[in-house]
Amino acid sequence: MSDSRHERLADVLVGFCAAVQEGDLVTLESSTLAAPLLRELYRRVLQAGAQPLPRIALEGLTENVLKFGDDDQLDWVNPARVDDIESVDVRIALAAPANTKRLSNVDAARQARFDRSAEPLRNRYLERAAAGELRWVLSAYPTEAAAQDASMSLAEYEDFVFGAAFLDDPDPVARWEQFGERLDRVAEFLGTKKEFRIVADGTDLRLVTEGRNWIPSKGKENFPDGEIFTGPVESSVEGEIRFTYPGVFNAREVVDVRLRFEAGEVVEATAARGEEFLREMIAMDDGARRVGEFAFGMNDAITMFTRNTLYDEKIGGTMHLALGTAYPETGGLNRSALHWDLVCDLRSGSEVHADGELVYSNGQFLNGSG
Amino acid sequence: MLDHSLRLEPGNVLRIEGEAVAGAPLIVSLHREATKRGIHCYTALDLNGLKEILVAEGSDEQLEFVSPIELRELDAIDASVTIWSEVNTRSFTRADTDRRQRQLNAQRQFAIRRRDRIASGEHRWCGTLSPTEGHAQDADMSLEDYEDFVFRACHVHDDDPVGHWRRVGERLQARAEELGSVRELRIVGEDTDLTVVVEGRIWRAAYGRQNVPDGEVYTSPVETGVNGTIRFGFPAVFGGSEIDDARLELENGRVVAAEAAGGQDYLRSLLQLDEGASGVGEIAFGLNYEIDRFTRNILLDEKIGGTMHMALGMGFEALGGQNRSALHLDLICDLRREGEVYADGELVWRSGEFLHDPQPARPAEHVG
Repeated sequence: MSDSRHERLADVLVGFCAAVQEGDLVTLESSTLAAPLLRELYRRVLQAGAQPLPRIALEGLTENVLKFGDDDQLDWVNPARVDDIESVDVRIALAAPANTKRLSNVDAARQARFDRSAEPLRNRYLERAAAGELRWVLSAYPTEAAAQDASMSLAEYEDFVFGAAFLDDPDPVARWEQFGERLDRVAEFLGTKKEFRIVADGTDLRLVTEGRNWIPSKGKENFPDGEIFTGPVESSVEGEIRFTYPGVFNAREVVDVRLRFEAGEVVEATAARGEEFLREMIAMDDGARRVGEFAFGMNDAITMFTRNTLYDEKIGGTMHLALGTAYPETGGLNRSALHWDLVCDLRSGSEVHADGELVYSNGQFLNGSG
Repeated sequence: MLDHSLRLEPGNVLRIEGEAVAGAPLIVSLHREATKRGIHCYTALDLNGLKEILVAEGSDEQLEFVSPIELRELDAIDASVTIWSEVNTRSFTRADTDRRQRQLNAQRQFAIRRRDRIASGEHRWCGTLSPTEGHAQDADMSLEDYEDFVFRACHVHDDDPVGHWRRVGERLQARAEELGSVRELRIVGEDTDLTVVVEGRIWRAAYGRQNVPDGEVYTSPVETGVNGTIRFGFPAVFGGSEIDDARLELENGRVVAAEAAGGQDYLRSLLQLDEGASGVGEIAFGLNYEIDRFTRNILLDEKIGGTMHMALGMGFEALGGQNRSALHLDLICDLRREGEVYADGELVWRSGEFLHDPQPARPAEHVG
């Protein structure tokens, strides 16, 4: 039952990602399925001289509210969780689902209302994080449900998850630091460019990033990690794109998504399956039909699609666009209740041109650009 | 629990506390039923193994840490439920006693705060047991048999469980009122002859408001008024250790001799914990006749129909009790076979039962 990789993952999450300091108040948020990792995290937070505050979720509680709650209950924000967000120094959250499709049949309007009630909490912790008052990291614990979504056995999936986190490396932290330096260099390079053109199967897309920030994501807030992202100039997105992997959102799946943009807005959206849901999402609000994020996945230890955005958007040799809200730190201005990452594989027969020059081909940045 | 014990309004806030793995089925069900009643219900769950790590490895500061968030939380909620469901009831048996005690003392701050809020009518609380293999093992039963036993004791399979507990309340309150006019009790049983002065003390009925299952009447006796000998046939389980077949001799309310077939040293060390530890804090009769056997769980054991129990240590201030101690050690005396109880010289109990029904009293008081 004990897996030394749990201990290594706990080491990296506490020591490197969240950099827990003496005296910190640290919430540990996950479901009971992550118990083996939670215990290791708890131990390491104690060893760091900090106070672990377990916040253990149970499958079925959210479903109770979504199925049986009235509007007042859907809107309710637990003051104790607000207090957490205001008071703690570190949040370590682990996704550990028992069934990723549990909420598939919940009424979409009720789900949306429930999600909106959590928005102020999310905005507040992001605000405290931006002000340097709170550190957070989102990671995942391998469960049967997640393995099933990835079409793998649990043992195979564990290897995949821990491999993506470089835990098989003798010194994972050194590896992450080294990888971070590489991401810094690529981000710096991308920052010197104004305009990008992506060419792949079914894809010829142009967008402008001039004046926006490229941010290397190096294992501090997501773990595992490995992407470089920005928010493109909202009106600049032109052309068409075909997403290789199914888009997964709120436990629903849309297959073979193709979008056509004019002046930054989606003007045509088709899919082989789930097209209606795709259109509903795009119609959610004004910002939902514009691009909030443009990014490259850079983690070469993640090679396959597993129906989990945490990993999929980091697959080495891919790029992704997110419809909807932008990350403010990129300079992106788009705002929406939606943030839906859609991933396009660039590993074969694909090119990226920056300011007219070929900078990326078949999933790799070319010499001189990281 | 929702309709009898807590009686909340839509919009009230209810916190469920328990161990997440073993308690999950009951926690999720309770949360669902509370949600259906319009209650804002949420959970604050423990995970087995975490406190063990804290007690084994935490620094002094960490052992004694009291979360300010949780203290503020208690002030903001209308009600809470504690679900006892231990995966392993002996996980602290080998832990350092002093370190475990320090960790428990820090947690007592919550208990005290909650008690004060309950007393002032700002908070309602109820504790219950969710059967686990660990508890079943302590009871020498299979999980299935143990579940039947516990749920029978809760009367949840009755057509009208709430009606059952309301009727229990009426009966026990009448009994408590009647005992309230008694000056002195004499308890006679195997190796037991004890007189207990209860004059002027308030008897309280426990009928499912704060514990489910329930069924006892209790008070705090006059501190200097307990004399004689008593033998506790059932083991007492305290802090993960057992005291077996304890025999006490009391003079003027103080234990003057203590013997036990097992755990005698432990018993004597507990009696020396502080000044009040060798005094009597509680005297009570267990009256839930669905609970017909000892199962090593005080929630159930102290309510075994036909028993009495005595607690050494902390008394109940609200009932007139003045003994103060960090200890509250319940010891159970089986009065089902040979037991007799005299109230001011009159035989009122024989072989595990009061001899007559209490005088009909006013309907159960529905206190907040």
